[in-house]
Parts: sequence; C-alpha cells; structure tokens
Amino acid sequence: MRKTRLTAFFAVLLLALASVVVIGCGGGSNSTTGGGSETSAGGGGEPLTVGSDIPYPPFEQGKSGSYTGFDIELMEAIGEKIGRTAEFQDTSFETIFRDVGQGKFEAVISAATITPEREKEVAFSDPYYLSEQAILVKEGSEIGGLDELEGKTVAAQQGTTGLELGKEKANAGELRPYPEGPDAINALKAGTVEAVIIDQPVAQNAVEEEGGVEIAESVPTEESYGIAVAKDNTELLKEINKGLAEVIEDGSYKTIYNKWFHKEPPKQFLG
Amino acid sequence: MSQFFTQYFNFDVMREHFGEVLVGFLQNLLVFAVAALLALTWGLVLALLRQLPGKKLMPIRFVTIAYIDFFRAVPILIIILMISGGVPFLSFLPQEVRIPHWFGRPDPFWYGVAALVIVYGAFTAEVYRAGIEAVPKGQMEAARSLGMSHFQAMRHVVVPQGVTKIPAPMLNELISLLKDTTLISVIALSESVLVSREVLSERLNSSSLTLTAIFFVIIILPLARVVDKLIARQQLKITRGSHIEVA
Repeated sequence: MRKTRLTAFFAVLLLALASVVVIGCGGGSNSTTGGGSETSAGGGGEPLTVGSDIPYPPFEQGKSGSYTGFDIELMEAIGEKIGRTAEFQDTSFETIFRDVGQGKFEAVISAATITPEREKEVAFSDPYYLSEQAILVKEGSEIGGLDELEGKTVAAQQGTTGLELGKEKANAGELRPYPEGPDAINALKAGTVEAVIIDQPVAQNAVEEEGGVEIAESVPTEESYGIAVAKDNTELLKEINKGLAEVIEDGSYKTIYNKWFHKEPPKQFLG
Repeated sequence: MSQFFTQYFNFDVMREHFGEVLVGFLQNLLVFAVAALLALTWGLVLALLRQLPGKKLMPIRFVTIAYIDFFRAVPILIIILMISGGVPFLSFLPQEVRIPHWFGRPDPFWYGVAALVIVYGAFTAEVYRAGIEAVPKGQMEAARSLGMSHFQAMRHVVVPQGVTKIPAPMLNELISLLKDTTLISVIALSESVLVSREVLSERLNSSSLTLTAIFFVIIILPLARVVDKLIARQQLKITRGSHIEVA
C-alpha cells in the first residue's frame, strides 16, 4: 500500500514537471516564431527582433506582451514604415550591445546614448532623441544640483551615462550603481541615497507618477540616443534610418513625443 | 574558439581591473565574516530552542520549526530585496535601524548581512540539530540524573559532543554563504560581482567575471581541503586505534 502511494506520488510529480516543461517550451517557441502576443499591430512582414531593458519609464514600460513607452512606440512606427513587425525582448542593459553584436536580436532601442566606446562594438542609427541628465532629489532636499553632490550618497543605474557623469563630475561620497533605474529611484524615496543621476525624462516621470521627489537640476549632455544594430548589418541600419526619417516627416514622431514627454520635440525632429 | 578566449580570458581586461575587482572581493569576504559569525550564533540559538523539553514549551518549538522551515524554503534574493526595499520605509523604527551605517559600512552592507543571517541561521540550525541528535540519548539522561538542568546538560555535555560531529556539513553551509554574498550586488553594494558587471558594461567583455570566479575558487578550495584534514584528525581521535583514510 505504502509503496503504491509513493509510486503514485512520484508519477504525479513527474507529470507536473513534464507539463511545466511542455508549457514552457510552447511559450518559448511562440515568441520566436512570431505571431505571438509579443508582436505589435500593423507592419506585417518578417518580424524584427528588438532588445530593450524594460522597465525604464517613460521610454520602456509595461508587462511582457504589452510593452509600451516612447522607444517602443517609435520602434513600432519605424517597423511599420519598413514593413517589419517589431518584436521586443526584455534584456539586461549592461550586455545589450554585446548581445546585438552577436545576433541575439537584430536591433536595440533602449534609451541608449550614442558614445564612441559603444560605436566600437555596434553601429548606431541617426539620433532619435536628445538627452539630458537630471539630478533627482527628495522633495525639500538642500541639494541644488550636480555641484552640490560632494560627499553625498548618490545612486545611478549600472552601465549608464548617469553613472559616468557621477563618476566624472559629482565627486560623491559614495556612488551606488543599481541594476535598474527604478531601484535607484526607490532607494531615493527610501532615504538610503540622497540623489539619483538619471535620464531627464525618467526623472520627470518619477516626479509626475510617484511624487515625493523633485528635479534639482537638468544637465545638458550634448548626447543623443540611437538605435543600435550589429556593426556589419548596414542594410538594416539603412532601413531604420529611412524609417526614422519617414516617421519624423509625417509627424508621427511628434505625436509619440507629445504623448510621452508632454512637450514639443526639438526642431530637428519636426517634420 | 578564440572568440571564447577573448570573451572570458582577456588578460588585458583582467590586469587593468584587477585592483577594483579585488577591492570588491574583500567586500564579499567582509560580509561573509560578519554574516558567518552571526549566522553560526543565531543557528545555535535556534537549534537549542528547537530542542527545548516539555509540553509547556511546545509553542516555542513550534515557532522555531516554522521559522526554520520558512526561511529554508524562501530564496535569499527575495529576502534581500524585501529588506532593502521595505525596511527603510518602516517609520516606527529608529533612523539608525532603518538605514544602518554601523561601523562606517553603508546600508546595503547591513541589509545584506541581515538577510544572510536570517536565512543561514535556519540552515545552520539544521546542521546543529543533526549534531545534537547524533549524541546518544543516554548522555542527556545521565547528565540529568546527575542533577544538571536541561540547559546545563546541553551546555556541558550534549552540545560539546554534538559540534564535533558537524564540521563538514557546517563548512558546506559556510561555503555556500560565501558564494551567496554576491547576491547583495542587486542592492548596489560594491562587491566583486557588481564591480565585474560594471567592467563588463564598460569593456563589453566577461573576463572580469572570470577573475571574480577565480578569486572565489582560490578561497574556497583550500577551505574544503582543511576541513577534510580536520575530519580525519577527529576520526582518529574517536575511533581509537583504527585509521580512516580521508582524501
């Protein structure tokens, strides 16, 4: 009796494991073959796999299957122009350029600043966004800006321009690289850090959506964001640049920009 | 194949970032030292609570067993994130507990130590229990019949014999504790894995992670060998005359 019960128990366990494996694989193949819930409406044609480090509101946010944000909608619009359906993969920012270089996905749109170091590894499209960094502090904080971070505990996101800026200019007492931007902002709200250096729109979004924090200073960086592809993938790069130009031309860039940043885009992005 | 070597064994990257990664690794060792000391103590307390005699103390035994079961089941990463993401907001706690900066170490250090002690306390308690339960019942009975209290018997007779039986399993727990100190990187403590990941994003090369792995191997391998020797010596002592080969 005892033995049969034990056998029955293991049989059920095995069955459960097997079903998990089957369901897991089913889901996996679904997203690679396209036509799954990851694909966005319109476009059609061969899917375009795009890597992005999600969440990073307002550039990328939402749950798997219904990602949204400025980058996401812009990429979908570009995809429509070039007849490819953008399919997004959530990935880690620190390895994102290596992964696109090795073909894990075809393109990267992830609020990625165009830098000479990154250009050694990947090719960037024309700029699609001009970036500013913000010094985000708690409401009522005495910190007035980048110059006043000396000796303070400052957070930024790993592998980002904000962290570089902190290293070069802030002279902070302690500079903490958090794995994700929202972690850094949460640490600020918890009071474990005194300031966060992060992309301006992300900071703006935190002020509007979450409250309790304010922007002490916006620092222009003369930097812009680009869509990255593997270095030898010049054909796709051309396509993306063409799509981006068309999106700017017909005003859909402006619509998306207004929607996510609540202001007019800079002149060069007006059609 | 050469791609494999440039990705994981780029000695230029290793050399240039050696200092940074080493400083990060010392941070791991420091977390380990503090957490191990506290977890070994906390685990013994839990093991003793679990062994309390009599019907009256049943609730304490029950709570202890529930604690041990729960924290052995929950992934440490969750505990780390829950402490770091929640404790600072508990405004009924005093500031220096919510955001601890004790001994000049930053708060992620202490959040990490707390999480490791909470979880590894449960694991080491189980190891202590194995040791205590391996001491023949007659020992406790004899000590009690000599007029010792339960606590005295534990303190002078059972626990001293019990701990001699567990160095190997306990070291396994400590080794795994040392490795789990890397999890604290998720709350931005500048330990070796976080530093290596920073290098990875800067150089787009994984060799810094390889270097970190090498540091861990260098520390952990001899530790394992030392314990083998300890066991061999212990066995010689208790088996009187017979000799047991330990590799």
